Amino acid sequence: MNGLTSSIRYGEAMSHPLKKYYRTSLLGFTGLTLLTAVIALSLGSVNVPSRNIIEILLSRLPLVGEYFPSHPGPQSTIILRVRLPRIILGLIAGISLSVSGASMQGVFKNPMASPFILGVSAGGVFGTAVGIFFGVWWLLLPLMAFIFAMGTTFTVFFLGRVRGHTDITTLLLAGLAMNFFMTALTSLILFMSEPEDMLSIVAWTYGSLSGTVWNEVWITLSIALIGSALVYAYARDLNVMQTGETSAKQLGINVEKTKIIQLIAASLLAAVVISFTGVIGFVGLIIPHAARLLVGPDHRRLIPISAMLGGSFLIVCDTISRMSGEIWVGVITGLFGAPFFIYLLIKHRGETGW
Amino acid sequence: MVMLEVEDLVGGYIENEPVLKRFCFSMGKGEFVGVVGPNGSGKSTFLRALTDVLKFWKGKIELKGKDISELSREQIARTISVVPQDTYISFPYSVEEIVLMGRSPYLSRFEYYGKKDLEIARKYMNITRTYRFKDEKINELSGGEMQRVIMARALTQKPELLLMDEATSHLDIGHKKAMMDTVKNLNETRNLNVISVNHNLNLVSRYCEKLLLMDDGKCHAYGTPEEVLTEANIHSVYGIDVEVHRHPMDGNLYISPMDRTIRDKDKGKKVHLVCGGGSSRSLFKKLIEKGYEVTAGVLNVMDSDLAKAEALDINCVNEAPFSPISKSSLQKNLEMIKKADVVVVTDFPIGEGNIRNLEAVRDGITDETDLILVNIDKINERDFTEENMGVELYADISNKMDFKSVDSTEGVAKLL
Repeated sequence: MNGLTSSIRYGEAMSHPLKKYYRTSLLGFTGLTLLTAVIALSLGSVNVPSRNIIEILLSRLPLVGEYFPSHPGPQSTIILRVRLPRIILGLIAGISLSVSGASMQGVFKNPMASPFILGVSAGGVFGTAVGIFFGVWWLLLPLMAFIFAMGTTFTVFFLGRVRGHTDITTLLLAGLAMNFFMTALTSLILFMSEPEDMLSIVAWTYGSLSGTVWNEVWITLSIALIGSALVYAYARDLNVMQTGETSAKQLGINVEKTKIIQLIAASLLAAVVISFTGVIGFVGLIIPHAARLLVGPDHRRLIPISAMLGGSFLIVCDTISRMSGEIWVGVITGLFGAPFFIYLLIKHRGETGW
Repeated sequence: MVMLEVEDLVGGYIENEPVLKRFCFSMGKGEFVGVVGPNGSGKSTFLRALTDVLKFWKGKIELKGKDISELSREQIARTISVVPQDTYISFPYSVEEIVLMGRSPYLSRFEYYGKKDLEIARKYMNITRTYRFKDEKINELSGGEMQRVIMARALTQKPELLLMDEATSHLDIGHKKAMMDTVKNLNETRNLNVISVNHNLNLVSRYCEKLLLMDDGKCHAYGTPEEVLTEANIHSVYGIDVEVHRHPMDGNLYISPMDRTIRDKDKGKKVHLVCGGGSSRSLFKKLIEKGYEVTAGVLNVMDSDLAKAEALDINCVNEAPFSPISKSSLQKNLEMIKKADVVVVTDFPIGEGNIRNLEAVRDGITDETDLILVNIDKINERDFTEENMGVELYADISNKMDFKSVDSTEGVAKLL
């Protein structure tokens, strides 16, 4: 009998289907992400043949570039100046938000945590609203968003410090309070705004990748690399911390340092992205879940897989947004994400944690 | 060789409210020490200070001769590992992943678990019988399985000192024994030092060579279970009355608490026991449990009756060891007899030394006193005085007033 129950349990334990084939699946997902990007590049209101797209891209490469025709003119402009930066920013945003979410869920030991738990989004929205309200030069709006996003985050962080260490419960409550406060302030500004400003502010709360320029790509890319590297470097520590902070300390982990690095890196990743794109919800919440179902909760596997899943997911959502007359991408992620989330919820109902 | 040396440790969680108050402790290599004491006496705080989770305020901890405050957390984790009371993990890590975390203090930042780490983890999963479910999800295990996994992780840390912080509290008796057996075995075969904080006095007295009894942040007693688990120690630390027995089969100590069921009509009724030589050890407890106010006398220091009476906080007249009863003691005894509602004369052996106890009974009892005599039929067998003075005194007493007679001390409790 005992043997029977244990073999049934053993069967259930295999429900992380890709854990054993992690390396292969990471390669697979990276390939899938690149494929998604290439397909997305060929989709749009103006039809550019795939062959031309490939030639345009290859012609821009060093050394081999001169052997390919560069198709100067509108086709090249659409691909290199409109679609490509937008798709790459989508990729970076998806990666950043998903890695950030995985990190936050790890630090809070809670599958409900998201990149915005410390007030990044509410702060960012408020900063943008202030900027729009006072008519700040539009190029400075991302800076406003970033300053307010990180300002809110550090306030929450400061409130969460209890006798020289970061208390997770206090942090969660402080985040909740600051989120409400910032949202209330934004509402106040909305109340006082002119209708057209109001629309811009509301649009920003749903996020959009339209009008992306290369400079945005370089800035977000550099932060995405640094932030993800930091999160990944402390991934093993994050694993050990799942068994409790005291236990982690007794296993030699520098818990306080890990928490601070993870929280700052995760907030930074999210803040930089939303400063340029507006608040894109749901990606940072559901992508880590999906990744956890595939490869298990070990952050060393979870973070890279989350990054690739998040990148391709956001490219797909943004392509839908482009093809549908620029429906805000945050709406698309919600429309796709929420049902998927509910599906997971039903499938795994009653299980303790995913 | 000393494993651990703790000197004048002061520390706690709230400023100016120390939990540990100049706590001292020392442990040799290869020892298995049990730490007992009431809730809040500082047991877990001591373990937290040992693993650098709690920064202590004053004092010193030396681990194998090295000051612990100069060691990094990783260095400590390579020497000390901990099995806590319970662990909650919300994400579905596999058993093997959890056990491998025990290798953390040996890995550098970008290093991942290698073949050697897997081998070590596997070895301790076998010892703790967790290997067979190594791929199961940790959050789907039973409490007993979970605790074995955490034990496997603690051993995978390859500690020289294993701390168990009420690690067996939530386990059933079978799992409790199995876990303690595993640890005891490692202690004996591989010289693993163990400190086990445990509320189960019977369990620690069975497994530990030494016990540390903590009270109010200090060491109250430290020694073998026999030395530490005395009725007097337990009374003063836990504030309850217990009986310490020795198990007839294996010789281990076992402790059973006493109940006090006070009946209103007997509340405050005074019972005086004239006893000695261990004749009323069990009677003391039963009378107190029934709510009587018990006195006794005259007892010699070192008499087992006296030890018992003192452990139970019974007011008694005592006399220096092996000396005859002095005049003042006689007088005190007489006073107690006069005040008593019931006087019980147990079947103690009568000698020149304690004959005056019977005189006190003869002179002290009044018509209002209930008198109970134990085992008077065999008075001749225990009268060791010359000229049968004991028998004569018994005759005087029984002539003076009515009495109740019982065969044994057990009968007294039933009669009252």
